[in-house]
Amino acid sequence: MLETGEHTHETHITTTDHNSDAAIAARSLRRTFKGGIEAVRDIDLTVWSGEVFGFLGPNGAGKTTTVRMLCTLLPPTAGSAMVAGLDVVADAAEVRRRIGVALQEIGLDPVQTGRELLELQCGLYGVTGERARTRTQELLELVGLTEAADRRTKTYSGGMKRRLDLASALVHAPEVLFLDEPTTGLDPASRLTIWDEVRRINAGGATVFLTTQYLEEADKLCDRLAIIDDGQIVAEGTPEQLKAEMGHDVVSVSVQAGDVAATEAALTGLTGLERVVVEPDGLALYVADGPGSIAEIVRLLEREQIGLGPISVSRPSLDDVFLKATGRRLEGQEQPGQATEVSQ
Amino acid sequence: MTEVLLLGRRATREIVRYPEATIPTLFIPLFFLIVNIGQVSKTFPSTTPFLNGQGYVAFQLPVSLMFAVATATSGLALVTEIDLGYFDKLLVAPIHRSSIIFGRLTADLVRGIASSTLVLLVGIALGARIETGVAGAIVIVMLAAGFGVAYAGFGLLVALKTRNVQATQSSFLLFFPLLFLTPNFVPFDRLSPLMETLARINPVSYVIVGMRGLIIDGWNFGQIAVAVLVIVGLGAILTGLSLRVIATYDR
Repeated sequence: MLETGEHTHETHITTTDHNSDAAIAARSLRRTFKGGIEAVRDIDLTVWSGEVFGFLGPNGAGKTTTVRMLCTLLPPTAGSAMVAGLDVVADAAEVRRRIGVALQEIGLDPVQTGRELLELQCGLYGVTGERARTRTQELLELVGLTEAADRRTKTYSGGMKRRLDLASALVHAPEVLFLDEPTTGLDPASRLTIWDEVRRINAGGATVFLTTQYLEEADKLCDRLAIIDDGQIVAEGTPEQLKAEMGHDVVSVSVQAGDVAATEAALTGLTGLERVVVEPDGLALYVADGPGSIAEIVRLLEREQIGLGPISVSRPSLDDVFLKATGRRLEGQEQPGQATEVSQ
Repeated sequence: MTEVLLLGRRATREIVRYPEATIPTLFIPLFFLIVNIGQVSKTFPSTTPFLNGQGYVAFQLPVSLMFAVATATSGLALVTEIDLGYFDKLLVAPIHRSSIIFGRLTADLVRGIASSTLVLLVGIALGARIETGVAGAIVIVMLAAGFGVAYAGFGLLVALKTRNVQATQSSFLLFFPLLFLTPNFVPFDRLSPLMETLARINPVSYVIVGMRGLIIDGWNFGQIAVAVLVIVGLGAILTGLSLRVIATYDR
């Protein structure tokens, strides 16, 4: 996509604006593309050194555009950002020395072998000769690709490509590592391998900024996360904080499709009911005390002679956090338009 | 400089490992060489004044050399790299963006030397004699390869500007008028007045004339200097434009 507009750098961050422990600090960061498309709209973001920070959002929310701005690949239309203490526009060259990047589109050269690709990558970061060969071997071992090292990358599976791409982002032991949807399209086993590698890299001292559209990934891997939707950050905190802020349980009630409307009407007066979301085969009830409300739900439905299917109680998940923040679910459990919020 | 060498070595490796990209670029010039000789060698026997006692193959050889080296291969490799995402990986590395261009051009130089040597050897096998000997043959190869490097800037420019494989592939078509509005079949003075005017303002003509002189007539340093000037000028313009576009890519 072609960009438009001049970089106006209206908001500047000075070293006194933020704690020196911030690995990434963005202020009023905005990116407008040609045609006036506002991909990122004035976001503020602080990622502390040593964190695994998750950037969660659906496709098209602005995750990749944000990463590209923070990685110096795309200039902001307005606002500013510092990475590793350096301005991404004014000190772009120095920022690049300090970051590692694995973008959503796996950037591999299919004609080269894994080993050649890593050795070249070492060279581009100033690591040459015997040091490059040693570092390449270390990285191949780290990502479990020693056996495939001398095969051309076009013969690699999706998981192997992802791991090699990750290794190529690590040749210079970066301070900040950007991973843009590192597990998208991978099978569950490969996903777990990537998670382990991310944890290991983080344990080695690197700050990790990870975008994802997988709630489980954000929940399991990230110390803190921000939810982005339609170019704006709509929630931010640790996964536990965000879930705790929900302050309610979710009771999922299954009924016959034809009974959904009647069920909704029957439960309007349920004690402690905060919100109802209508789903194709039932209702999601947001209540203060889930287990305590089950008996009342059963009684209310029996009174209206509505047949009740399976009923379950769960603690709030990140998906509930996402639903609360954006009005829709993230992972397709419920498509936009199918869920209708009926009361608040 | 190290960056250019690293990226040049990688791009050269690509040529070796992906011969499908180079072989078709050799087929056309060799095809034209053989067909053109077959069609007009009786019309222009070796007694023809401008052939200086040689067969028509000697006259046609520079045209085939130009055809062999003027390709969009580098542009195509670059646009493929943009498509695959590897280009972003290079952009985010702490290197000068210009080294991405110069790395590609290094590979063009290697490809140009190899391709023009092969075409020259085929020409010799078909009866052409290099009047200036081995030294002249080396100069011919360097002129051809130099022109290939200069012209490659156009493919790179289209690749960076359009980011589109089809557009980059089509950029090669521009070379047809550039090559045929030259004294490619007969010398300047045998062309019609309009064609002569067009050929004389076409800089490509002077590269052909420079190489042809080395094959047929002997050392003519004035002609060689003009050919070098054309190559350097074209290279400076096209490479300069490519460098400008890559410097502002997504900025």
